[in-house]
Amino acid sequence: MFLHAIGFGIVTAAVLALAAVGFTVQFGVTNILNLAYGDVMTASAFVAYASDSAGLNPWWGMVIGGLFGAVFSVLLNRFLYTPFIRRGARLFTMIIVTIAVALILQNCLQAIWGPDFYSANISAGATVRVLGMVFTTTQLILIAIAAVTLAALHGLLRYTRLGKAMRATASDPALARNCGVQTRRVIDGAWLLSGLLCGLAGVALVTELGSFEFTTGSEFLVPVIAAAVLGGVGYPYGAMLGALVIGLATELAATYFNPTYKDVVAFLVLIVVLLLRPQGIFADVATQKEVAA
Amino acid sequence: MSLAWSFYIATVLVYLGVDVMACWGLNLQYGYTGILNFSFIIYQSAGAYTAAVLTLGPNTAGSFQQYIGGANLPFPLPVIAGGIAGGLLSAVVGAIALRRLRSDYQAMVFLVISLIATAVVTDDVGLFNGPAGLSLIPQPMSTVLNLSLVGYRWFYVGLTAVICLIVYAFVWRITSAPLGRSFRAVRDHEQAAAALGKNVTGLRMTSFIAGGVIAGISGAVLVEFISAWSPGGWLYQETFVLFTALIVGGTANNAGAALGALLVPVAFLEGSRFLPQFGPPGLIDALQWVAVGLVTLVFLWFRPRGLLPERRRIIQVPGLQQARTGLPRPFDYEKTAETR
Repeated sequence: MFLHAIGFGIVTAAVLALAAVGFTVQFGVTNILNLAYGDVMTASAFVAYASDSAGLNPWWGMVIGGLFGAVFSVLLNRFLYTPFIRRGARLFTMIIVTIAVALILQNCLQAIWGPDFYSANISAGATVRVLGMVFTTTQLILIAIAAVTLAALHGLLRYTRLGKAMRATASDPALARNCGVQTRRVIDGAWLLSGLLCGLAGVALVTELGSFEFTTGSEFLVPVIAAAVLGGVGYPYGAMLGALVIGLATELAATYFNPTYKDVVAFLVLIVVLLLRPQGIFADVATQKEVAA
Repeated sequence: MSLAWSFYIATVLVYLGVDVMACWGLNLQYGYTGILNFSFIIYQSAGAYTAAVLTLGPNTAGSFQQYIGGANLPFPLPVIAGGIAGGLLSAVVGAIALRRLRSDYQAMVFLVISLIATAVVTDDVGLFNGPAGLSLIPQPMSTVLNLSLVGYRWFYVGLTAVICLIVYAFVWRITSAPLGRSFRAVRDHEQAAAALGKNVTGLRMTSFIAGGVIAGISGAVLVEFISAWSPGGWLYQETFVLFTALIVGGTANNAGAALGALLVPVAFLEGSRFLPQFGPPGLIDALQWVAVGLVTLVFLWFRPRGLLPERRRIIQVPGLQQARTGLPRPFDYEKTAETR
């Protein structure tokens, strides 16, 4: 029982890590709290579903979903968020803008696809036993995808010029600009990257859940925010650890208490972190920054 | 005027009163104090559930609905209790969220709290009858007055109007007093307010709880009228409608808030009732939400201060003009752009 729960927890954590790292990169670099994140996940899942229905291999659907998330996020920033910031919108206004986008996106999905549940096209596959935990092959592939993607992200942030520029922009946009970093391009890069993670996470989420509807992504936003805040917003490694903690905690709670209270557990973790250490586990200080475009 | 129209207009007027009260409450928090309370609807809902169970009477075994803490109180008490419930819940949430968090973290926490509250009340059937919600809540004084169906509706319009006036007096008392000025100081420049000796967290809490009380009262007034309340009616999107109303009408302006309540939740959402129905069920609702989101974006772009903008307050102090000229104007956080 315990090991089963741990197994489920690892799968949840893998999906959550993809989403939470994307969220934290987006928020860390641009300082825009994008509440439409969950709905971009759902939209990517629907795009992947549409490509599967058109006859493509479902795993290609994941690639297409990821690319859709990336392109959509860049366009969303370029043509909506950035113009608002140029016009003088501050932190506050931007949060309302993003929640308006979330509402529009979610209800457009409902208008197009209706209020029905759709089942994911990737079948669970054979079961595999690993160290006493039971996984399906699909779950193992999801974990592998998350691990590879996050390792690649680590390499990118650590060793490439873009990664360094991104970290510089995250910590101080004005200083980075003065040092010759083309922050505009870096910010586009951040939206592209976080959008890719967002899209992948969306498709991975519905693959893991098996079925989805137009609110699936926005409901997943609670554990995503919890994992990102737990790790300290803007810290990708913190978000990975946060995802692991939240993933295990929610699945253990689901096994021993009540499955419907998964999100409540994530929420309680969030509250405890905010009360004890609002800057997250890793972060040194929660800096007061303004939105960057 | 036919009876059906009379009935409908009375219903819309009660909705209007409830939305105006809710907008005043949210305006106190968002417009005056700058708290992005995305969980506003749960305080309204707390008021509604409290008023409902205090009107329904003790829960009997074998009843078709189950709830906690039933009682049978006479009319004004459930509404007052609803206000208290909204205030208490705000105090609890505020104690968690309004401490030293950045305002964007606060917004995030409020949104999450709203989602969680809906999930808990839906899943925990013993609390307030789960997803089905409470229904058949007796209407106040309906048995005593012995009015016709339409007559009672108009009586309730009057009742709502009286409660609205009381709430307005309360809101006006705050916003026109030094307390309101302190709220605006916290909104415009937190550090400056703190430097002048204002207790920023305390002021935020005061505003938050006052708004919560008003939310609770508005929920109680609504539930006593429509006799039913379920989780489907208070999703986080409902809070967004009130934000849209404030942005359209004008933040930090009580007349603007009332105008916004008239235009967005009442005229805009009720108006679509008269459009021809088309498409599969749910399509019109979805498009309505899309339209609400678009209205918000359009107003934030073209008229971010709303139709009735906040009054510019300029204090003339002889000899101080010189010192003032170098400083940015007080309410300019939307316009100053120090990042570029």
